[in-house]
This record gives sequence, C-alpha cells and structure tokens, in this order.
Amino acid sequence: MNMHRRFSRSLVLLGFSISLLARAQGPPQSGGDFSSNPHPSVLPSNVILVKGAWSSASDSVTPLPEGGRVANNAYSNQYFGLTYSLSQDWTEKYSGPPPSDSGYYVLAQIRSADTFKGTSRGSILIAAQDLFFTLTPAGNALELINYDKESLNRDYKVEQPPTLVTIANHSFVRFDYGSPVAELHWHVLATQIRCHMVQFVFTSRDTKLVESLVEEMGKMTLPAEAGPISGRGGGEVPVCIKDYARDENVLERVDPIFAERRFNPVPVRIIIDKQGKVKHIHFLSAFPDQAKAIADALSQWRFRRCLRDGEPVEVETGIMFGRAPRPATLRSTNAATE
Amino acid sequence: MKTIKLASALAFLMALFFPGMAFAQTDPGVRSNTGVNAGQPYASVSANANDLAFYQAGFAQFTEHQTVTGDNPGLGPRFNLDSCGACHSQPAPGGTSPAVGVFPHVGPNPQSQVIANGVVIGSTNTIPFFVQPNGPVREARFPFFFDRFGNPNPNAPNGGVEDLFTVSGRADAVSCNLQQPSFNAAGATRNMIFRIPTPVFGAGLIENIDDSTLLANQAAQAVFNRVGISGTFNHNGNDGTISRFGWKAQNKSLMIFAGEAYNVEMGISNELFTQDRPLPGEDQLGSGLPANCLNLAGVGYPEDITHSGGTSASTVTSDTALFSVFMKFLDQPTPSTTSPGGATSIANGRRLFSAVGCAICHTPSLTTQASNLTSDLSKATANLFSDIEIHHMGVGLADNVSQGGAGGDQFRTAPLWGLGQRIFFLHDGRTTDLLAAIEAHQSSGSEATAVEEFFDLLSPSQKQDLLNFLRSL
Repeated sequence: MNMHRRFSRSLVLLGFSISLLARAQGPPQSGGDFSSNPHPSVLPSNVILVKGAWSSASDSVTPLPEGGRVANNAYSNQYFGLTYSLSQDWTEKYSGPPPSDSGYYVLAQIRSADTFKGTSRGSILIAAQDLFFTLTPAGNALELINYDKESLNRDYKVEQPPTLVTIANHSFVRFDYGSPVAELHWHVLATQIRCHMVQFVFTSRDTKLVESLVEEMGKMTLPAEAGPISGRGGGEVPVCIKDYARDENVLERVDPIFAERRFNPVPVRIIIDKQGKVKHIHFLSAFPDQAKAIADALSQWRFRRCLRDGEPVEVETGIMFGRAPRPATLRSTNAATE
Repeated sequence: MKTIKLASALAFLMALFFPGMAFAQTDPGVRSNTGVNAGQPYASVSANANDLAFYQAGFAQFTEHQTVTGDNPGLGPRFNLDSCGACHSQPAPGGTSPAVGVFPHVGPNPQSQVIANGVVIGSTNTIPFFVQPNGPVREARFPFFFDRFGNPNPNAPNGGVEDLFTVSGRADAVSCNLQQPSFNAAGATRNMIFRIPTPVFGAGLIENIDDSTLLANQAAQAVFNRVGISGTFNHNGNDGTISRFGWKAQNKSLMIFAGEAYNVEMGISNELFTQDRPLPGEDQLGSGLPANCLNLAGVGYPEDITHSGGTSASTVTSDTALFSVFMKFLDQPTPSTTSPGGATSIANGRRLFSAVGCAICHTPSLTTQASNLTSDLSKATANLFSDIEIHHMGVGLADNVSQGGAGGDQFRTAPLWGLGQRIFFLHDGRTTDLLAAIEAHQSSGSEATAVEEFFDLLSPSQKQDLLNFLRSL
C-alpha cells in the first residue's frame, strides 16, 4: 500500500515537474516585458543558424569533396587525394560557400597574408566542378576549360590557350588569360579526379608571381588517376560514371515521398557498393526533410552490379531529385555580354 | 602665381607624407549634378491617355497617407508607416530610404517623424532605438522566437516582420491597446535584423523577363570561369516558377509584392492578403489580434477592394492593383555618361566591373518578353545589373531569415540600376559608403569573396573608376 502511495506521489511530482518545464519553455513569443531576465542569452554573431538547402551526408566517415582544409601551410583534401603546399606568406582568410546545386565547389580561397613582402599581391582559388550536374555540355575537364576559353568575352585576352602540361608528374590543362583594362592575369590549371574538374586559379597583376605559384604546384601530391580526361576513379576509390542511375542499371527503385512541395534542385552524389546497394549519400544541396525522404528511398534501391575486368567494383554517380534535371546548355544569346 | 606655387608645394608635401590619402579611392556619394534620374513613366505609357491615367492614379495611391478611418481607411492596427511613397522616396516616389541632407533632400527618415506628425501617439508608442532621423527606413524582424524569459530560441525560427508602431492611443483606434514588440530585448540578444525598402524603378521590366531567359543566363555564367560563384533561384511555392521581388526574391509578381506590403507594412488587408496581420508571436500563441483591434476602419474585410461602383478603370481598381500598375509603368533609372568622374572614367569602370567578375551576378542587362501592357515593356532591354538569382553571401551578411527557398545567408543579387542616387546600401542599410558595401561582399561562406579579392587587387585609380561607374547608374 505504502509502495503504491509512494509511486502515486512520484507520478504526481513528475507530472508537476513536466508541467513546470513546459511552462518554462512556454509558447513562442515575438516580444513582451523581459525585464525580469537581466542576463538573457545572446545569439552568436557571424554564424549561419538558419540554413536553407545545404550540403549533408549519410555518414561522417566517407570523405566529401568539400571536406578539404588549409592547415600547417598546406591544403589537403582526402576525397580528391591531393595535398597542395603553400608558402608561409599565403593564408585562407575566408572559407567558401556550400556546394552549389550545379555541382560546383569552392574548395579553398587563399590570399597573400599580411606578412607578404612582394610588390604585388595575388589570390589562389581552388575549386571543383563535378561532371554529374554541370550545366556545361562537357564530358571532361579539358572540355570544360575549352568552354571557358570559348566563352571569354572581349574584355579579356587569351594569353595561353588551353594546353596540356605536366605538373607534379600528372597531366593538367593550363589556360592563361588576362584583362588589359584591369591589368590582372588569371592562370588556370585543371585536372580531373573522380569525375570532378579540380581547378587552381591564380590571379595577380604580376605574371612573375603567378608563374612562381604555378611552379610551386610541382610539390603537390595527387592520385594516380589525375588527368584532364582520365580521372574517372577506380583503384582505391569507386569508379565514377555519370548517369549510372539510368533505367537499365536500376533493378529496384522507390521514389522518395516528400512531405512538402518544393521546387529546388536536389543533386545527390551516391556511392554504390559491389553488391549494388547504396552505401553513401552526399546531398550537395537539400533541405533536411528532402534529405531524409531521399535517404529513406535510396536505401531501398538496388543497382545492377558494375563489373570491371569481370570483377564487381564500387560506383560513384549523381542523381538529380527535386526539379527535373536541366539539360546542359550553351551560352545564352539573350544575356548581355559585358 | 604665388598661390599656384604654394598649392603645388602643398600637393607635393601631401603626396610625400600621405601617399595613400593622395590616391585612395572614395565613394563619390549620391550623384546630384544630373538631376533626379528616376521616377517617370515609360514614354509608351505617357503616349497613351488611358495608360497614363492609370499610372497617375497609381502614383496618387502610392503617395497617399492612410488613416485608421476616414477617406483612406484601414491603417493598422500594426504598421511600419502610413504610405508606400514615404518609405520608397529617394530620389523620387518608387525609390528607397530618403535623408534630409542628401540630394534631392526628400526629408528625414519618415519613421523618425511619426510622433511629430501625429501618425502615432507618443504616450503609447516610442520610436525604436534603431530608427534615426538620418538613418534608413527600416523593417525589423526577429530571426527567432523568444522563450517566456526573453531568451531567443534558435530551435524556433521566426523571421516575420515585427511592425514598429501601433494605432493604440489614437482617437480612431478606440479601445485597441497593443504593445510594440520588444525591440530593446531583441537588440540586446542580437535577435533582430533589418531590411530597407527596395527601389521599384523598372520593376515592370523585371516582372516581364521570362524564366527561360533567367535560366539561360544562369547556364551562361556557369560556362565561364565562375570564380566561386554559383547561384540558384527562389521559386514561387504555388506554381514552382522563378520568384523575383524582395531582398530574397521571395515574391513572384508586383501584385503579390504590393498586396503583401500593404498588409505587412501598413496593416491594410486587401484582396490578396485578406486579414489584418498579427505579429508572428501573436499568431503562434494561437490568440491572433484581440477583437477590439479588428475592423477598426468599420468597413469590414478586406479593407482595400475592387470598387464595383467605380466609373472608370482607375476608380474601379483596388489600391493594391493601382500600386502594381504604378510599379509596372515606372521606367528604369537613367544613368549618366559623364558624372561622376567623367566619361572616360565611367567607361573604364564599366569594363573593370565586368573584368573582375562583378557582372557574373550583377548581369548588366536582360531582355524582356512580349508585353500585353505597354510597348516599352515589350522585348525591352532591362539594364538591371542583376541575375535575379539568390546567392550565399556568407556570415557577414547573413540575417538568419528564411524566405521561400532562400536560407539565412542567401540574397537576391540586388539590381544596381539607380544606385547613383541611393543613400543606404545592403539589405539592412548598414552603410552609406559604397566602398564598404563592396567590401561586405567578402566573408566566410560568401560566393563573392574571390571577386571582392580581385577588386582589392585593382589599383586605387582603377577602383575609383569602378566606383564612379557605379555612381553613374
């Protein structure tokens, strides 16, 4: 009896505590008289707390393209398997934006540090463009750079057309251009790794500085596959195949059920294991509810196994959810060209 | 002769001891020597008597002051000001925040004058601390709801407009007694952001750019070395098409834009937004507005309607539709080819603007589709300097307010036409210095960081040319 009474009393106390807690949290308010709270919590500054469509992944272990970092005078990126050493006078002040819904990544933005002693300053942009979601009708890094060259407007001057060069024992495509009016020079060096064009853009008024930066690329380490056409994965990393998720390769497909109707593109990069199951999902840009619905659906997909030399291999590919995929298009004639 | 020698010696000494100062670039400021560059209807509107009458009726409504009751009823119970044209006034009706000491001297921030002008009663309203006579017109939003103790709750996003003033205390408000939101608490907890009015010159052209043109422009920018930039579009939640008005491109059309502003900024219900609007917290609490604050105009809802008893197009049409007509028929601003800095500097600045990459987002011009309204909107070149895309602008500009598909750091590329006669810059009007506004494009998470870095690589005289170009718009 005592036991029962004690249990009842505990229940009442628990209920009372919960009700107090609920009242403390209270309904949301726009305002009111908060003078009784002399030390309110202050929101942090310079933090994006409300994110729209953003990047995320199904696990925190598998390296992501945007996962590189500048540390100890080097930019290293596990996904791309590259390490790029910086001299002490170069630093990353600001990180880049999240991946775009057309598969573009700002990997690092590096600039001359305050300690830089040279007469002209410069900047280094390391970026990547995947071949899964690019809006450009290009099949490899070389074609992407050629499109860049073809789309240069009259304010720029080609200083060296796209040319194959060897950097750190790997093939790159190099494209130099400049702006006579701005007196700036851009040297672009690009290669392809895992179906992504990885691009180094060196900019300065001083061509000697830019050239020295290009020379310093020789200290870079890269995976064996790197090359303006060749970088299609394989070996230690999955083979990458654009549009692998086409009908003939998908044995079982379950469409995601979205709770809310949205109209944003949701580019998703997946890795399919050797048995044809999805083992990793990377949302380049998705609202959390979209990511959840897509992850639930993809866990039920089954793909035809991909064979290389008769052996099953892992496959990396891209699928566009949300909006219907847009065909890659050429330069608009309707937009003004300054 | 002595004077010239003295001046030369002084200039030499200045250059010797203050070389940075001698050559540093500066914002030329609001352009005042070429007259007001905006605020006129299209020539094709002026040439058509019916269209012109429609435009003039729209202008009259746009600049009219509303009251709670009477001839122009419906104001409140909460509002930011009592007239579209009071906030959208620099350098002409349809523009943005005015200032008293700046050409064309429209007047002080009208929100700072509401007590003096009798729009609100000083015993029941205070002028919020962030509204200053020489500061911008501001709309305030709380990114997050507060808990009952006054702590902002990051798990409860708000982001709705917190109107600055109430009708309480006015004789025509009868017994409606509302409190102003807790702006001091919001400021103390950093739970408040601001927006300033977007100018609407040329807005009819923006409305008449087909989605296909915007998509093609986006694809075109993706071809060229995009130096960190990759935008996307905000979409209308009903039909999925590209939305384009407002700081986050959250509104699809000028009619929606007008209807929402009439409701949110002035508290006037209309055929698009049919109820008086409670604050976000009042709605979330489940109580809405108190009964004694409803139907203060005594005309029922919506307060602004199409008038079936009207005798002409303009007297039949609702205020909201007339605002929309006014904005549609308002021509784009006219840039100067010579001021500031001269024709050579402006032309050079224009090329530099493109060369460093500003034009990747600030697309200089786009072509409209055929128009059923007036010929000047048809197949026209809109020199808007915007791609209408939303871009990540990083932690430095993020306001943590989500609207439609735009997240807390995403903003529509602000159209730059008319910039030469704007006073306040960026979404919250934080600066009047164009150079500071450019520099604010750079922060962690911003798509524009690399382009801003290229701007920094320019020489002072090149930067000056670029600033002159922007102030010529």
